[in-house]
Amino acid sequence: MKNPFKTYSAFTKAGIQDAIAYRANFLGFFIGEIFYCFVMFFIWKAVFNSSNSPTFMGFSMIDMTLYLFLTNITVFLTDTDSSYAIGEEIRDGSISMRLIKPIKIDLSLLFFELGNKIIIISMVFIPIILGIETYRTIATGGIAFDIVQFLFFILSIVLSYLLSFYLNLAFGYLAFFLMNLWGFNMLKGAILRFLSGGAIPIAFLPIWLQGTLKIMPFASLNYTPVMIYMGKYTGTDLIYYIGLQFVWVIAFILLCKFIWHLAAKHLCVQGG
Amino acid sequence: MIQVNDLRKEFKKTIKSPGLMGSVKSLFNRKYEVVKAVDGVTFEVPEGEILGFIGPNGAGKSTVIKMLTGILTPTSGTLEINGQIPYKDRKKYVKEIGVVFGQRTQLWWDLPLTETFSVLKQIYQVEDTAYKKRFDFLNEVLDLNEFIKSPVRTLSLGQRMRADIAASMLHNPKVLFLDEPTIGLDVVVKDNIRKAIQEINATEKTTIILTTHDLNDIELLCKRIVMIDKGKLLYDGSLNKMKRNFGQAREVNLTLFHSADAEKFKFNENFNIGQDDLHSTIDHKNIKINFNTDKVTVSEMLNYILKTSEVRDIAVKDVDIEEIIRRVYKSEVTL
Repeated sequence: MKNPFKTYSAFTKAGIQDAIAYRANFLGFFIGEIFYCFVMFFIWKAVFNSSNSPTFMGFSMIDMTLYLFLTNITVFLTDTDSSYAIGEEIRDGSISMRLIKPIKIDLSLLFFELGNKIIIISMVFIPIILGIETYRTIATGGIAFDIVQFLFFILSIVLSYLLSFYLNLAFGYLAFFLMNLWGFNMLKGAILRFLSGGAIPIAFLPIWLQGTLKIMPFASLNYTPVMIYMGKYTGTDLIYYIGLQFVWVIAFILLCKFIWHLAAKHLCVQGG
Repeated sequence: MIQVNDLRKEFKKTIKSPGLMGSVKSLFNRKYEVVKAVDGVTFEVPEGEILGFIGPNGAGKSTVIKMLTGILTPTSGTLEINGQIPYKDRKKYVKEIGVVFGQRTQLWWDLPLTETFSVLKQIYQVEDTAYKKRFDFLNEVLDLNEFIKSPVRTLSLGQRMRADIAASMLHNPKVLFLDEPTIGLDVVVKDNIRKAIQEINATEKTTIILTTHDLNDIELLCKRIVMIDKGKLLYDGSLNKMKRNFGQAREVNLTLFHSADAEKFKFNENFNIGQDDLHSTIDHKNIKINFNTDKVTVSEMLNYILKTSEVRDIAVKDVDIEEIIRRVYKSEVTL
């Protein structure tokens, strides 16, 4: 294959159309997330109001607000359907239809989902970021936006997405051995959200756990881009955490290849 | 040219004890049994032939097709299609084949058909001019234009099947696998699809492997058939020869007024022949009789039935594949 982009861009185009076909569904999901953000916001506001100190574990109320909205937009952007999609295809045997095409399983899924992401970026991400920046400017009384930091944030979020994609794909491939993943998927979702800092900042957890989580792939999923955006990671820290994300992406790509290799040998396609 | 030699595929199957306790037990202590889905199958298909690949449900047909299309890796044995080994380099190999699984679709459910086609055009890297020529041909044969702009989920089964066949042919494959392409279709649509398959084969010299449960498909399309059951090859040869051997079989279905009348029928005793040549099953008021017309003619049979009891309904029909296979299996004919 000479140019993979040329081949797989067709999937992205189809992904965009698919996202548009389901825009109402997606809008409902989005409004739910925003609602969740505000609930969390008022809970934290109550916590800060009842405390004597203006900061809590190094987070001010402004930090906390930024954190809430940034975390949720990051979760929204890096969320992936790969585990469910491939697990379901394996369960009902429709993975055959993917295997009879001259395409790679991972890239065809990835490029299709990119189409969805393009819609999310244009419909949700840009307005939210503008909102966050407006809030930050008013709350801090000066422009805090830093273009270099923002570019690093974008890089980091792309790595987060790739990591999320391949981690979930590896998980989805387990369907070859377990044949049904629904329950495991729920469990995985809850664990990942907590360990990646999607529920509360990792900085609030006990020190010993923080260190472990930051080295393990969990923080790379979500916490790293948010910390970069908020300016909590700078200089060598920044390079270190982005490097770590990169390492985890590669590790999970290799893991996926390995599991696929194992599965292909005693692959059992279910049904007709 | 397709060559299959002593092909085998074994699956490991978990044995689950019945009931809830059984499920819980199998979580901790799994027992496996080895199922031989395909057990030493050998056959060849020359270029440009339409081969009918038949067998009852669970015979191992789909498993063979899945190995031929590179989805499954054989446990042992060899297979080679136009010099390529399917499971070795899947991505390269599948460029030269087209596959239709009648019970699945390769079309994008929520998108118009044109979108699926343009994705396929791109992933198979078909040039614009070649694509146009190809599409015009398929459109002529399969009448795609009337629904090309509709989302796939709104198509009827017949339209979807036509679209699926077209989708599998856009890149001009040398070999086409059709796994039950007429399943669930009405007579008119079946007929159109058969004509299309014939035309594709005639103009493009495409080698076609056709799996089906419909004897008419086979009769109209295939000169040669390969039959398997329980993973083993039962028959490989011309359709005419098979008909000579088994074409004498007929099936009579009758419905009685009273189920008590069913006991009056003693088919084997009356005609004085064994179970191999006449086999009847009684289900309440319905009786099904399969028999060999070499031994008992249809008129003799009808005569006997009408003489014996009052009958609400009678139907005489050709025997279906399952029945032929049952006969092959029972009489253990070597072909």
